[in-house]
Amino acid sequence: MKSARAGVLVLCIGNPDRGDDGFGPAVANALDGRLPPDAALATRSGDMLSLIEDWKGFDALVCVDAAAQMTGPGTLHRIDLAERDLPGGLGAVSSHAFGLGEAVALARTLGLAPPAIIVYALEGESFESGATMSANVAAAVAPVAEQILIETARLQETANHA
Amino acid sequence: MTTKTIKVDYLARVEGEGALDLHIEGGKVTTANLRIFEPPRFFEAFLQGRGYTELPDIVARICGICPVAYQMGAVQAVENAFGVTVEGQLRALRRILYCGEWIESHGLHVVMLHAPDFLGYPDAIRMAEKHGDAVRAGLAIKKAGNGLMTFLGGREIHPVNVRPGGFYRVPSRAEFVPITEELKRARDLAVDQVRWVSTFPFPDLEQDYEFVAMRHPGEYPIEQGRLVSSRDIDIDIADYETEFEERHVAHSTALHSVLKRRGAYLVGPLARYSLNFDRLPEAIQSLAREAGLGPVCRNPFRSIVVRALEIVYALEEALRLIAQYEQPEHASVPLEPREGTGFGCTEAPRGICWHRYDFEADGTIRKAQIVPPTSQNQPSIEADLAAVAAPIANEPDDVIRDLCEQAIRNYDPCISCSAHFLNLSVHRS
Repeated sequence: MKSARAGVLVLCIGNPDRGDDGFGPAVANALDGRLPPDAALATRSGDMLSLIEDWKGFDALVCVDAAAQMTGPGTLHRIDLAERDLPGGLGAVSSHAFGLGEAVALARTLGLAPPAIIVYALEGESFESGATMSANVAAAVAPVAEQILIETARLQETANHA
Repeated sequence: MTTKTIKVDYLARVEGEGALDLHIEGGKVTTANLRIFEPPRFFEAFLQGRGYTELPDIVARICGICPVAYQMGAVQAVENAFGVTVEGQLRALRRILYCGEWIESHGLHVVMLHAPDFLGYPDAIRMAEKHGDAVRAGLAIKKAGNGLMTFLGGREIHPVNVRPGGFYRVPSRAEFVPITEELKRARDLAVDQVRWVSTFPFPDLEQDYEFVAMRHPGEYPIEQGRLVSSRDIDIDIADYETEFEERHVAHSTALHSVLKRRGAYLVGPLARYSLNFDRLPEAIQSLAREAGLGPVCRNPFRSIVVRALEIVYALEEALRLIAQYEQPEHASVPLEPREGTGFGCTEAPRGICWHRYDFEADGTIRKAQIVPPTSQNQPSIEADLAAVAAPIANEPDDVIRDLCEQAIRNYDPCISCSAHFLNLSVHRS
């Protein structure tokens, strides 16, 4: 998954068998083969602690995940963790003992977090087992994938000039 | 007389959703109820009518932490019903995969969930500020377990490579080389981890448990053996129902398992260790003694030391089996379905996990029964809570709450599995 030298990791998180939680994996499918060289793509579900090992050594990390509904399904949040923390509603969406927010906090404490972390969180509507993605979330997959291609290129250029 | 009620409405650092209600009257603990309110998931019901080949992949979904335990019990039961025994390198591969689950599950619990209790931190993130090396080592140990699961199971959670009769694909010797080096590094870190946790301050509590675990003639038990207890039980796994039964209790969506003749019993690391100390390799027995453990451990708070020790064992055992591995000619042995009943029982990280299935002649599942470890430990958890709270019943609520939550985490309870868990309520009168 990881290239020999540091670059950008696009990490898509979610479970495609749980409705709108499939947003991350769907974006990964849309990005497959389209990321620039030195950028890596990974899909993960479940064990958030293992993410720390996934992103160790990368210059920048882009996380794509579904979020609990706060304002309306399909609403996209772009959060630059250099500027602010994950809001509570986004940091604690995992049903597991450790969510993405905790994994990032632990990695930062241990000095294992990439210098730049951007989170794309899309508010979902239904996370039922076996359900398909809701229309608002499915419609956001392609435009978010395009936005991440631009973001990845920007992060890579920043890393190359650092 | 004053009555006091302490409630913890949502237990932290446990898997699943549950709560604790403690009633204290006149300075004495009258009730300690572990309330499991996670809704039942009806796995046993929806296995009915499914084919035996689907079984391992369905039961793996019961738990994201211990899927191998469910898979191994299930395939063992299928093979038992159809009169097939899986031996040799296929059995060795199953044991190696199971070692991966012990390393992953214990590794998560020891450092990320339980150690903060002993060192006075609210969570592992705060603990990492002062104990960064220990947390890094814990993550590396867990990663080695995940790696083994991915290597043999196809992925780290809900493995997909296990089938009745063996595996879908088996690795060559050469494929083991990279994972072997990672396991060796993790073993060295795990030995240091045993020494680290052995220095923790342990509350002074000895409980008169009836330990129940598996016992094998020559091995520390993981996936084979008879069922034995520290009193008089020594039975084949097929006779489980003669000694044990599940009961409904009003305050829990999880069934409580009890010994028909004596009530509460204990499964898991303390039971496994205390009934099988003589089955551990000499070097690990020495490490146990160095860590302050005797051949029997009845202090539930020291379960963290036993878990750390079992991580070392699992790493050593995996390395031993890998060193002896020869790729088998076939990835599985053939099975011919037949009508009958099959039993499976293995040592999940949290204790014995027992399965029984009735099959139609074509291998369709007629009836399924699965008894997970946390269900079996619920009565003992409640007994521990009463014992832990009794000497501090007049202390402030937060003191009682903290120690009770720690006592629950001694069990690394998997509520999702048992609800078939935690909020604390203390009621004082």
